[in-house]
Amino acid sequence: MRKNKEAKTAHRAGRIKTPEAIFLGELANQQSSKYRLAQGFGVLFAVSLVLQAWALANVFSDMALHQSFSLPLLLLGLFALLLRALANFGRERICTSASRDIRYGLRRTLVSHLTELGPARLRIEEDAALSTRVYEQVDALDDFFSRYKPQVFMVTLIPCVILLSVAPVSWVAFLIFMMTAPLVIIFMIFVGHKAAQANRRQFSVLAMLSNQFMDLSQGLAELKRLNKTNKARQRLSDSASAYQKTTMSVLILAFLSTATLELFASLSIAMIALYLGLGLLEVLPWQVGSSPVTLTQALFLLLLAPEFYLPLRQLGNDYHAKQKAEAAATDLLEILNTPLSDTRKQATKSESVVPALVVDKDAFIGFHQLGWSESGHHRLAPITGGIAQGERVWLSGESGIGKSSLLHLLLGFEEDYQGQLFINRQAFQNIDLSDWRAKLAWLPQTPEWVNGSIRRNLLLGLGSKEGVAAPSEAELQAALIKSQCDDFIQALPDGLDTKLTELGSGLSGGQMQRLSIARALLSKADVWLLDEPCSGLDKDTAQAVLDTLHHVSTGKTLLIVSHDTHPIAWADKHWSLTKGGLHEQSRNENREAIA
Amino acid sequence: MSNHATKTAKLSLKSLLLANPWGFAVPVLVGIIASLAGVALLGVSGWFISAAGLASAIGSALVFNYLTPGAIVRGLAIFRTAGRYGEQVSAHNHLLGLLRTLRLWVWDQRVAKDSANLHEQSRGDLLQRLVSDLDQIIRWPLVVFLPWIYALLSYAAVSVLAYFILPNLLWPLAIAAVFHIFIVPFVCGYFASHAVHVGQILGVHRRGRFVSLFSALITLTIRGHWKDYAQRLDQLDERQRRSEIVIQQAVSVGRFLAYLVTILLLVSCFYLVSVYQASTDNWTLVDGVQGTWFIGFVLSLLAVNELVLPLVQSFVAQGQSQVGLRRLNQLHQDAQVQPDGKIQTIDRMTFSEWRGFYASSGMGNDALDLSVVAGEKVWIRGDSGSGKSTLLAAIAGDCLSTGKAFINDEACDLYGNRGYQSQLSYLPQTPYIFQQSIAANLRLGNPDASTEALWSVLDAVALADWAKSLPNGLETLLSSQGRNLSGGQRKRLALARLLLRQSPVLLLDEPFDGLDKATIATICHSLQNAYKPSILLLVSHVSSQLGDNARVIEL
Repeated sequence: MRKNKEAKTAHRAGRIKTPEAIFLGELANQQSSKYRLAQGFGVLFAVSLVLQAWALANVFSDMALHQSFSLPLLLLGLFALLLRALANFGRERICTSASRDIRYGLRRTLVSHLTELGPARLRIEEDAALSTRVYEQVDALDDFFSRYKPQVFMVTLIPCVILLSVAPVSWVAFLIFMMTAPLVIIFMIFVGHKAAQANRRQFSVLAMLSNQFMDLSQGLAELKRLNKTNKARQRLSDSASAYQKTTMSVLILAFLSTATLELFASLSIAMIALYLGLGLLEVLPWQVGSSPVTLTQALFLLLLAPEFYLPLRQLGNDYHAKQKAEAAATDLLEILNTPLSDTRKQATKSESVVPALVVDKDAFIGFHQLGWSESGHHRLAPITGGIAQGERVWLSGESGIGKSSLLHLLLGFEEDYQGQLFINRQAFQNIDLSDWRAKLAWLPQTPEWVNGSIRRNLLLGLGSKEGVAAPSEAELQAALIKSQCDDFIQALPDGLDTKLTELGSGLSGGQMQRLSIARALLSKADVWLLDEPCSGLDKDTAQAVLDTLHHVSTGKTLLIVSHDTHPIAWADKHWSLTKGGLHEQSRNENREAIA
Repeated sequence: MSNHATKTAKLSLKSLLLANPWGFAVPVLVGIIASLAGVALLGVSGWFISAAGLASAIGSALVFNYLTPGAIVRGLAIFRTAGRYGEQVSAHNHLLGLLRTLRLWVWDQRVAKDSANLHEQSRGDLLQRLVSDLDQIIRWPLVVFLPWIYALLSYAAVSVLAYFILPNLLWPLAIAAVFHIFIVPFVCGYFASHAVHVGQILGVHRRGRFVSLFSALITLTIRGHWKDYAQRLDQLDERQRRSEIVIQQAVSVGRFLAYLVTILLLVSCFYLVSVYQASTDNWTLVDGVQGTWFIGFVLSLLAVNELVLPLVQSFVAQGQSQVGLRRLNQLHQDAQVQPDGKIQTIDRMTFSEWRGFYASSGMGNDALDLSVVAGEKVWIRGDSGSGKSTLLAAIAGDCLSTGKAFINDEACDLYGNRGYQSQLSYLPQTPYIFQQSIAANLRLGNPDASTEALWSVLDAVALADWAKSLPNGLETLLSSQGRNLSGGQRKRLALARLLLRQSPVLLLDEPFDGLDKATIATICHSLQNAYKPSILLLVSHVSSQLGDNARVIEL
């Protein structure tokens, strides 16, 4: 929304191009050769238009005056009509294919960009909303690239061609065209702005309506219990009626301006027709008794007159395509403008040797003044510390202090950090990221599940890679027993083949976390990173999950982020993260905190 | 619109047309006038100019009445413009009305769904149906039905003109009309329909896959398998692209065919009205055919051509609407027979072999026997996973169950029983707070509650101080799903709403989670005094005053 406003002010400040317009322009340039070809077809279209008008005018005037016509001219006229159809056909094919290439290419760029952003993508929006951008918003560009963009060229081409062919026939008609065209264009801009405003308002109100529906629908169980479903229905009905009323009041205005434009075009055509009619009857006030044009010329002008305004009117109809595309571009730019960290590409830069002293000698994972700030704002204050192999560390701290950022750093998604990070005494930039990641197990707050059976999710991304066999059934069972999943999985009617969906499958939060633990066990990862695995669970369940974690993670290097409300009694170390850095709580304090 | 028949009927395109027939008649009528005026405008002005030319050529210019035809041309231009405007306005008004009807239809289906399966539809899926599917459907009258009617009627109007010029012209006209209005759109639709359906389904599918894959992005990346999975997204996209190409080709070819039909029609018309004169090497019009009228006819045919072109595209819209309808109809619920029976008071609740379970997983509590009489308090305890909550939900009639239930010693089907549920208030583990003001949320419990009643009930759950501290007090708008409230506040607000109902039976699932001792004490006090229910069933792992003097059931 804010961006929109910025764009608007930029627009008002002068003819400075908005970032959206530049973005759309760049995309269109990718397909410039196709658009050039489409322009070629456009020229063919315009020429056949004039040819058709000329041939048919001749045929018609002969028919009116002599009751006969010449076959070659008729055939020429019909051939021109066929040529028009062909030119249209070609233009359409090329423009839609250009639009397709642009959109599908852009979508691929977006998906790969989001992938590289990793967890940072969630700072833009949640996944469901991102999917809307990647699919619906990209497709919203279609009308712009397949219709509006080529139409802009036609709007300049066709009137010019018509003016050129009219000039030698009648100067008066030429002048009428010349004078009315700019007025029509001014009107167009006016109409466009009105339509844009209407569109914007409509979109936001419609979003509000959907929001209200979803709110009531999600609380439907509650409404049923309270026996208030009819009242909610009434509310939905009222707000839909109110929406209808306000939208109509906007649309009446918006359509009125389009209608005025139409009327304006018809008036100009009528002016020309009146001039021609009176001229043919030789009653024009300034030249009574003589005709300025012949019947053929008059018919020629009359056939061309509507065509002169037609592209403009079409552009007016397609104007909303531009609005839609610019609104979509705002959302898409937000994704593309979220910077990727790119230190890996210039990894050699921080090769500086660090005094071995500052990092714990036997630290498996070591930080030295490791911090991360983005646009002047600290996401993670510089911290120093080390985790030994097989050590289990509990990290706590206020929300927003950078606990998750530290985990994302270790996962290799945020490489734009300051200070040093060592893995096995090697600078993080120099290690092989995929080797390091293969050692990791990741257990976030909401477990990462794809749509599919429990089995598929447990084996997600395991095996099927060269040299690594997929875990055997026995290993799978062992992991399930260890993580205490076996009981509830056996209770499921479909067992391991139960489908997991977005909403789980009636499995409780604790059970889902246990499944994550089983998955971590199956992956045989040495380093476990856990981000608040117990938030959202009630106290008893959380405790039980933590107990399980305690037993299965012995011997693993583990970093668990957890609030003080869910203390990790069995951790070897307790770090508390503050704005000032990392503080190791003594074991006594640790015990106290738990007590 | 709120009668019962429409509430439960499945949707069909026909029912859409008849949803508001008078509201729809206006845009149809106005649109017809505008389309016919558009066709007539070209025809009459063509005739007028050529007749004027003819008049001046034969020297009768001074007696030629140019005022009447001129006025007709002007009138037609105004009709066309005003008609288009009227059509757009009234059609959009109709569409918005349709949107309202359909939204309410979706709501009715949601309401008719039984509580245990209410969450079968994910949020994203429902939103997709509500926004894009509805959009596809309401476009139908505007994109499919109206253009078809306009084309049909303008052909009829041109036929009248053709009949007066030369009755023989009707033949090619009829054949062209059949091709334009039926055959070409149908053939294109036939070739593209598969792609249209595939495209619609793929659109939903790839979105689901995207969300599913991205929600496991980190796991897939650290396992080094992201590329394989991302490729599957690409594959879906590629298939979508292919179906788009097929549809686009069908539309383009269809338009081209429509042009060809027009050209052939023109050729045959010219052939029918003229004969070859070898002497002048010219084609002359047959006797009785006025050149000026024929010019008008040819020009109106060109106008009809413009009206026919959008028809080709309409089959895409037709297919999309049908898929949209089908998807929306998946929400359809048959009217269920509600176990209904007025229950005046509840004196005794008896359950034998009672077991509540979730429909999806079949998990629940172990079957038990239980009897509660008026004036009793029961505290249900048990380990995590013992099915306490399921048991309570089943007693509340929210969740499937086996075994028998007796209310006042009469066998009673509890699940979804409105009469029974009106006598009890059930606080689930995660109650829902609506995106409305605090007062509106509370008044869902009792619409007639006075402001004093609201304050006192807030007092009872120890929320009054918090509400007073808000700048807008009771009128404070709560954000979506009560996100600006803490878990404890949300629960207490929902409890306050239930207390306003003053129902004799109160079922509470973990009401004290995340509350401090003083707050718990306040709530317990209220529940034992001012807001004391006749029967109280409490599930909690926290001990409280309320539990202390209650019968304890260990699961």
